[in-house]
Amino acid sequence: MGWKDWLFVRDKECFICRRPGALGYLCPSCSRTLKTWEQEFRPCRRCGRLLCKEYAGELCPQCGEKLPPFRLARAVGPYRGELRRAILEFKYRGRRSLALPLGYLLSRVVAEEPLYGRPRAVIPVPLSSQRLKERAFNQSALLARELSRLLGIKLLEEVLVKVRHTPPQAGLDRLARLQNLQRSFEVVESSRIVGLDVLLVDDVLTTGITAAACTVALLEGGARSVAVVTVATSLF
Amino acid sequence: MGLTHRPPLDRRFWELKGYHFMDLVSPCLNLGTAFFVLKHLEERWAAVGYSLSRVDAVLKEVSRRCKVTLARRPAPAGQPLPPEEEARLAGRILSGRILLLEEVGRALAENGVRVTAELADLLHYLYLQGECELRPAVGFDAQGVPKCNRCGQGDKLYRSSCGACGSTHCYVCEGCLELGEARTCRALYARPGAERAGMFPCRTVSPVLPFSLTRAQEEAALQARTFVEEGKCPRCLIWAACGAGKTEVAYGALAAALSRGKEVLYTCPRRETTKEIYRRLQQAFPGVEMTILHGESGSKYAPAQLVAATTHQVLRCYRRFDLIILDEVDAFPLAGDGRLYYGLERSLRPGGQILYMTATPPPELAAQARRRRLPVIYLPARPHGYPLPEPQIILARGLRRPMGRLPRPVVECLRLSLNGDGASLLIFVPAVDLVAQVVDWLLECREFEGLGDWVRGCHAALPERETVLAAFRRGEFPVMVTTTLLERGITLPRLNVMVLFAHHRRIFDQNTLVQIAGRAGRTSSFPQGKVWLVADRITPEMAEACRIIRSFNRLAFQRGYLRAVERRQ
Repeated sequence: MGWKDWLFVRDKECFICRRPGALGYLCPSCSRTLKTWEQEFRPCRRCGRLLCKEYAGELCPQCGEKLPPFRLARAVGPYRGELRRAILEFKYRGRRSLALPLGYLLSRVVAEEPLYGRPRAVIPVPLSSQRLKERAFNQSALLARELSRLLGIKLLEEVLVKVRHTPPQAGLDRLARLQNLQRSFEVVESSRIVGLDVLLVDDVLTTGITAAACTVALLEGGARSVAVVTVATSLF
Repeated sequence: MGLTHRPPLDRRFWELKGYHFMDLVSPCLNLGTAFFVLKHLEERWAAVGYSLSRVDAVLKEVSRRCKVTLARRPAPAGQPLPPEEEARLAGRILSGRILLLEEVGRALAENGVRVTAELADLLHYLYLQGECELRPAVGFDAQGVPKCNRCGQGDKLYRSSCGACGSTHCYVCEGCLELGEARTCRALYARPGAERAGMFPCRTVSPVLPFSLTRAQEEAALQARTFVEEGKCPRCLIWAACGAGKTEVAYGALAAALSRGKEVLYTCPRRETTKEIYRRLQQAFPGVEMTILHGESGSKYAPAQLVAATTHQVLRCYRRFDLIILDEVDAFPLAGDGRLYYGLERSLRPGGQILYMTATPPPELAAQARRRRLPVIYLPARPHGYPLPEPQIILARGLRRPMGRLPRPVVECLRLSLNGDGASLLIFVPAVDLVAQVVDWLLECREFEGLGDWVRGCHAALPERETVLAAFRRGEFPVMVTTTLLERGITLPRLNVMVLFAHHRRIFDQNTLVQIAGRAGRTSSFPQGKVWLVADRITPEMAEACRIIRSFNRLAFQRGYLRAVERRQ
């Protein structure tokens, strides 16, 4: 860093296009780009997965059949384009500094959706200890940490744990995913979440099975209700 | 004193060497911290002088300073060492490289080597024998400031708690993330390249070229050859005009180095260029063991005498090459990037040489050349022997944005291109959003209405930019508006170039302008391509770019490289 950098504070870089001139981690044009899905899709009232615009305010077929245990789920946008690239960089390449901008996007989602109310605790979807050793970081935990900091909500990282190591959900069909996760999440210190409205954080919501499994564990552990927020979600 | 991930292994090793006592002094630490503590211990001991009676005092002092509890504990009993021959194989694979543990594993697999011992043990055994160096991928300096040991930078490190080592202060380097995570708790294993004797045979190698070199090229190639043969200066710069054929000049240096059995690296910043260079090198030097390294290349760990690599891959090499040829020093990812220079220096053998090649040296190299710290080989003339097109500056006062009527001189230039000499015209603008605006602006011009679809835009954010570019290359439309995206890497036989708003100093600095001007007049069929700089005022950068091009032409003229044609004024 030269003396100029001390004298003249440079603009923040946009985390997507890397050009200076970002307002809150995103430049105005990338911010607009991230919102383009809103012209085509509306989230399912319950699980937040994206439906055609005509179904505004309705449930997706899957929620229509059987409602998921969580109160609601919302996401920043669909799992494609820049958002997808950012998640891949973050999760698989390990660019941990992306936690900050992505966490910021999550916080905007929670702040703008009135249905979230005022959650009392942020809880990340846990990794098994074996996976944590391999990957060295839990992407959801990093997101949850930023989210809790930005929203001023307590972070409870150690409450929900994954007790069984399972193969990754990606690449499995729905039934296999269901069986894969059975009884693999547990609440260890239930006294800390009894009666609380909890916000569960994950990177991607595809079928919602992971979120549902976590929710069941949390509700059994005594949480009053569980809402879910993710960076990306799938299109229906 | 040393560090280990498995004390029984060390115990056994030292027992075999005749030592009988071994103490563990620290709890289990992550590698970076362990290294830091070890450095402090060694320093302290060097200061007070090692003796058994002082051990506890020193441990106490260092514990306080490093905030780690150190105390002597007996080490556990020894365990058998990994097989000697497997360690030797791993050592051979590692030679000349600096790799993470997983990368060593991949290298072994790629070379079809199977090992029964655990890889970390095997490499640790090599470390104990002094056959390889061990360091944390992200280490700390004496003050405890973290620094990446792979790419050498310290400001793109991200601290987080780590699931692998359990520490809350594990740093990850985001500067070289695409090569795999360099973390405080990960080890880098490094081994200098093999001793030169017997590695590659000495024989006369001369490049096979389908054409003969021009006199300018021959003289420059001879200088490059002398630079390698004498081996007196560590660095040298080939400063060539755009399109002068500097690769062929580098062949001179390459042949000299290969003839002596030296290992050579040819590196450039972009993958496409690297692939292209690899192909050309294969044709020019048949019979030389050669490999290519880039992000998606198949075999990364095969031995070779001549390596073509992207500059990123150089971060995986360790004291391996006698000669490095760095092409396009100033191209995008490299410019102003200290970590790649760091990697280059590290991948040289002691006493190795670097040959920089560029048409537009970055400021620090240019300054060194001016002060005569860096010898320069000039290659001022293109093979066809015509002078470089000198830019014409067209002043259009008040030209700030694409608004109102097209300035008269611009229309003249367009008319000349469209109706006059039948060349395509490439118009450079300083910003992405200006591309579309300028296209509209040009289309509004009455004079060219009858031409139909005659101008299109192309920039990095355009999804179909490849197709637009291909259509332009085929000559489907005569005028294209673009950003500095195409500053280099485009060659059209008949091309005029215009820089609109050339007064944007931040975008159009002298090197960019020289590169842009270098797009014109590259072929002997159309050496008189025009370069117009349309600007509101003359910036120092524009003047400097013109001066550079003119001085090249003057030099070429003085040395008699130009054809017997009049020098253009």
